[in-house]
Amino acid sequence: MIRFENIHLSFGRVPVIENLSLKIKRGEKVVVLGRSGSGKTSLFSMILGFVKPDKGRILFDGTVLDDQSVWQVRKKIAYIDQDISLGSIITSELIDSISKLKVNSMLVFSKERIHNLLEQFELPLSILDKYTQELSGGERQRLAIVIAALLERKVFLLDEVTSSLDKHLKEKVVDFFLQRDDITCLISSHDPQWYAGNSVKIFNVEDKKWKQ
Amino acid sequence: METINIPISSLALSFLLLLIPIAISLFLRLNILRSLLYSVARMAIQLILIGFFLKYLFEYNNPVVNILWLSVMLTTAVFSAIKSSTIKISKIFLPVFISFTISTLTVIFYLNTVVIDLQNIFDARYLIVLSGMLLGNSLRGNLVGIAAFYKNIRKDTKGYLYRLSLGASEYEALLPYMRQSIKLALKPTLAAMATMGVVALPGMMTGVLLGGASPALAIKYQIMIMIAITVSTIMSVVLTILMTIRICFDKSGILKQNVFSSSNIHN
Repeated sequence: MIRFENIHLSFGRVPVIENLSLKIKRGEKVVVLGRSGSGKTSLFSMILGFVKPDKGRILFDGTVLDDQSVWQVRKKIAYIDQDISLGSIITSELIDSISKLKVNSMLVFSKERIHNLLEQFELPLSILDKYTQELSGGERQRLAIVIAALLERKVFLLDEVTSSLDKHLKEKVVDFFLQRDDITCLISSHDPQWYAGNSVKIFNVEDKKWKQ
Repeated sequence: METINIPISSLALSFLLLLIPIAISLFLRLNILRSLLYSVARMAIQLILIGFFLKYLFEYNNPVVNILWLSVMLTTAVFSAIKSSTIKISKIFLPVFISFTISTLTVIFYLNTVVIDLQNIFDARYLIVLSGMLLGNSLRGNLVGIAAFYKNIRKDTKGYLYRLSLGASEYEALLPYMRQSIKLALKPTLAAMATMGVVALPGMMTGVLLGGASPALAIKYQIMIMIAITVSTIMSVVLTILMTIRICFDKSGILKQNVFSSSNIHN
């Protein structure tokens, strides 16, 4: 599904990733581990084409990622960042503007579905009338998860998505992603809830090895 | 009605009024004395020179010369619009020049042919004077518009990348920033139109009135020019943004950092 082949990445003269290869199969849930600055977030950014590797290549569904193919890849991915920027807009208008993107023209963002997802992640319906900048970090993270769920994508890139949530909500979010067999997840997190079960594979970006 | 002539000696007396800002500057230690005197001197010299030049231009009234002078005006307006931009001048000169040319010429030729119905659409009295008014306003609009557009994207890089990650096309991801900057660029023009005549008599109307024309004619020209200014400003801001996007973003929709002047890279 996603393959990193001999990736080298540096910012200026500082090498961040050196000769990394990683293969993620369809339906797998892979947690990437590593100290801060070890290049975990860069892996997500490279799949989305936000940064380009100095050497090596990335394949998504067999297609080599480049300036053209990345536009199609982005349409298949839902990306959630630890400090997501949802702008300064009323939540319902944000959801509406995302539903109007051409890529989502075949999807129906029904009120019922939005309400169910909000309830599932314990967000009050009144959040729809609030400005996004009024939301707490935890509310923003859960709202981003709700939006990602609405998009019906099959690949999720989750970068510290549970960092601002309490234990109970962390478990809820972890269950939501790990219990689905039809999705592939690449996860970066320090929360132990993600490693509790046997359903995830753990990859250390520093020594570039799978953890048993 | 005859316009009262101002002799040179009387005009010199108008400079005495500058004693007021000079006194304020000294009293409040504004430290603007130098720039105030420099700007006043520059304005006076430029206008005197342009006065001689326009006299010749209007008398000669040659279409080729008029178009050449319009090109000089366009080039100067473009330089003024982009010189304080965070983007390297060499990268955006051409797109902004094309944008200014298209927006100004479209509006000016429409006015000269359809509205004023000129025999000679290259007549200096109309081509140069009206273009000057349109360019001056496009310049102000673009100064605000381009700066706001790129500043907002750089300030909200995460938000922009989030929209791209959702699968938005480049146009869809940039649209919110385009809307913001176009609205901001148009604000002064729209505000000026809303208060026109009540709060202030605009420059062109004052000029036409002092020139001896009837208020009815002055108002007709003013309405025409305000519509033209609004149209050319919005056209030039939109075109400039659309054309600079081609240069400032790579093919995967990411803002190139090497298009910005190094001193502004961390702004």
